[in-house]
Amino acid sequence: MKEKGYIPQRTQVKLMMGGVISLGKLLIKNPGDIKILRQMEPLKERYIRPQMAYDLPKYKDGMKYCDSEEKYLRPTLYCNCRAPEVIALANELGAYKKSDREFAEAAFHFVKEKLPLEILPFNEVEVTFRRGTGTCFHLITAFIALCRAAGIKARYKMFAMNMIQAWYDSTIDVDPVVKKWYDSMGYFMLEGEGEVYVDGKWTVAHVGPKAERQAAAGISVTKFGEDSIGVWFFALPGTTMRMESLPYGLAAMVGFAKKLAPGSMERVNVSIQNQIEMGRKIIEEAGGVEAYDKQARKKKGPKQPKMDLNGRKEIIFRE
Amino acid sequence: MIEQGYDVYIKKLDECLNNYIPPRDTWTPVDEALYKPKDLYRIPLKEAEELQFKSIKFAFNHHYTNNKFYQGFCKENNVFPDDIKTSGDLAKIPIIPDGFFKDYPRGKEFATWLGNIYTGDLPEIVIKHSAPTYDQVIDAFNDAGLIVSYSSGTSGRHTFVPRDQRTFFLSEYAIAKSVVSMIYPLWDHNMSGYLLMPNPNKTNIYAGKVCSVYFDAIRDVSVAIDREITTELIKLTMGGRRGLKSKMVRFFSKRTSQKMIDDIIKWLERHEKTKENIVFVGAPFILYFVMEKLKKQGRSFDFGGRGAVGTGGGWKIHENIRLSVADFRKEVKDVLGIPEKHCLDVYGMVEGNGWMVQCPEGHYLHVPYSYYKPIVLDDEFEQVGYGESGRFAFLDSAALSYPGFITTGDKVKLLEHCPVCDRPGPVLEPEVKRVVGTEMRGCAEEMRTMMTGDIGR
Ligand SMILES: [Zn+2]
Repeated sequence: MKEKGYIPQRTQVKLMMGGVISLGKLLIKNPGDIKILRQMEPLKERYIRPQMAYDLPKYKDGMKYCDSEEKYLRPTLYCNCRAPEVIALANELGAYKKSDREFAEAAFHFVKEKLPLEILPFNEVEVTFRRGTGTCFHLITAFIALCRAAGIKARYKMFAMNMIQAWYDSTIDVDPVVKKWYDSMGYFMLEGEGEVYVDGKWTVAHVGPKAERQAAAGISVTKFGEDSIGVWFFALPGTTMRMESLPYGLAAMVGFAKKLAPGSMERVNVSIQNQIEMGRKIIEEAGGVEAYDKQARKKKGPKQPKMDLNGRKEIIFRE
Repeated sequence: MIEQGYDVYIKKLDECLNNYIPPRDTWTPVDEALYKPKDLYRIPLKEAEELQFKSIKFAFNHHYTNNKFYQGFCKENNVFPDDIKTSGDLAKIPIIPDGFFKDYPRGKEFATWLGNIYTGDLPEIVIKHSAPTYDQVIDAFNDAGLIVSYSSGTSGRHTFVPRDQRTFFLSEYAIAKSVVSMIYPLWDHNMSGYLLMPNPNKTNIYAGKVCSVYFDAIRDVSVAIDREITTELIKLTMGGRRGLKSKMVRFFSKRTSQKMIDDIIKWLERHEKTKENIVFVGAPFILYFVMEKLKKQGRSFDFGGRGAVGTGGGWKIHENIRLSVADFRKEVKDVLGIPEKHCLDVYGMVEGNGWMVQCPEGHYLHVPYSYYKPIVLDDEFEQVGYGESGRFAFLDSAALSYPGFITTGDKVKLLEHCPVCDRPGPVLEPEVKRVVGTEMRGCAEEMRTMMTGDIGR
């Protein structure tokens, strides 16, 4: 269990403890919030899950998949990469026909553009594919499961973040309670990305946001291999973790939040759909995703230099 | 005050700062551009353009050759040393976005990251901890003879920059010469100074660190903040995490803060009786609190022309109160009796070694254009001409230990000439603001958060 990374890493335990304590304080200080949290105000827009953007292919006997027990290839918590739905979809996306990079890119585009974000409790990855929506961790898991089914190593990268202002406004600011939570929690909310091992290198895949949501925030559309850090989020220094599996605590937290604040969750989901709609118009006006992206990249400014963290022989680590 | 010619005046400063100036036979074009001109703000334009071109081209070659990540960045941008042939080509030099210096890992990787930013060979650096903190990594670098310093945003993300001794000397000498030439003829080695900053030996915040030159330029300097200031301390006092430890720091801070203000007032009383020149250097908000206390007591001083104030850092006093530089000057005149022409603001940052100092005549921020090229970028990061406001960026040849070609998050307006005085070079309009959407920053800002908590409430 520990080997697979189900037990949260120390960094995460620390972050979670901080989150639980400040959340507890917030609720003790504002007991009234629980009431607001638990009910959705009437007359407000309700959340309607968008229609699934794809048809799930049927699993057929004899479809090829990876049955290795090697680290980063085997099933992990909520990520059963051998579920029939996963295998069928991986095959449809070209597993074992395309090169690893081509397949990873196809899986990346599929998850990023076909599965919109919806805040809901954790579930097995095949359920995510049957529903067609999920939190960023559902979506990363979906991407990782597809890659593993195709025999390509994949893992999670998690970090605590600072959001860019535009996203803060639409995701957090809509709900006064969520905003209070966010401010009080700070280190508590984790974001993530997928990482896949192609051409001898771990390559990042930020599958969370659809192009529309990125357009709504006025930022460029992340491509396969492009990091969200520095564009979309700013990772709080020292909080980045890489792991084979989602750890136990994370799922419990989302479940708890859902029990405590179904209303807030619904409002966030409504806001996400509105963002997607807004982004769709922006992209249309710009003349398509590519044209929009070109504009946004100009605004983003010069590229960040790449730094490979090569050791320097003059620095000696002595313990 | 004995009237003396400017040349004699600045020669005296060079004598005080003799240790900072490398031997003449080892001078590079960068040293030529900084140490040779007698007044960095009065170099004839044509001469300055040549100094600027030579020094920046030299620095660009140096980083391209000796810094792996910067070389990779240039190759990606398709710019090579041979492309820089004339002054006009300087615009091609790839500029590093400021966020780059804020995106750093933790622990051992942080040490490696710092090492990779560094241009050239490092001295031997020994890291003794298995999971070193930021402060421990910085200490290890500094024990090896480097000067790693930082600044920070209110979010707690610092900008870390490694300097070698030569770059640090360039930077220190530059700030001293810049300020001393602007306050001509007031400076004198025998004057008394008050540093409104942490003791340079007890902090790695750059604005504090660079002030160590103050102790060589002036014989008698008192220091306002004498305790250790670490990244951990800044994190604790920035709010967010509230625990016993943090409360203790705040309590400690309240008592020492009040004592600090009383000490400064006593110092003023003592110097009122002498005929010596006095100069305050540092964070405006400390002097602001001193003046507020004096006003409450209905007191004032009259130092007149023998007093001067040099400020730097943020101008936010409390959460919602932003002090304007002009209001501050007026208050200094009313409460301390120091004329506005002796109250000059300095604009600089941890990533750079160019110091923009206000001229006494018009309080515009003059740029040291012989070794440092100011650039303004629009929303799409294209360079714009004089008179338009935009994001500030610079090509700084004095940065030898890291590539000093950097954009900032500051919004400025660059003018070709000062509208008021006759110094020939470019100026920035006095109020520098943050570009909308980027975080607040300023060194004084950090200290403000640390100390205002309890002062005067
Ligand atoms: Zn001027």
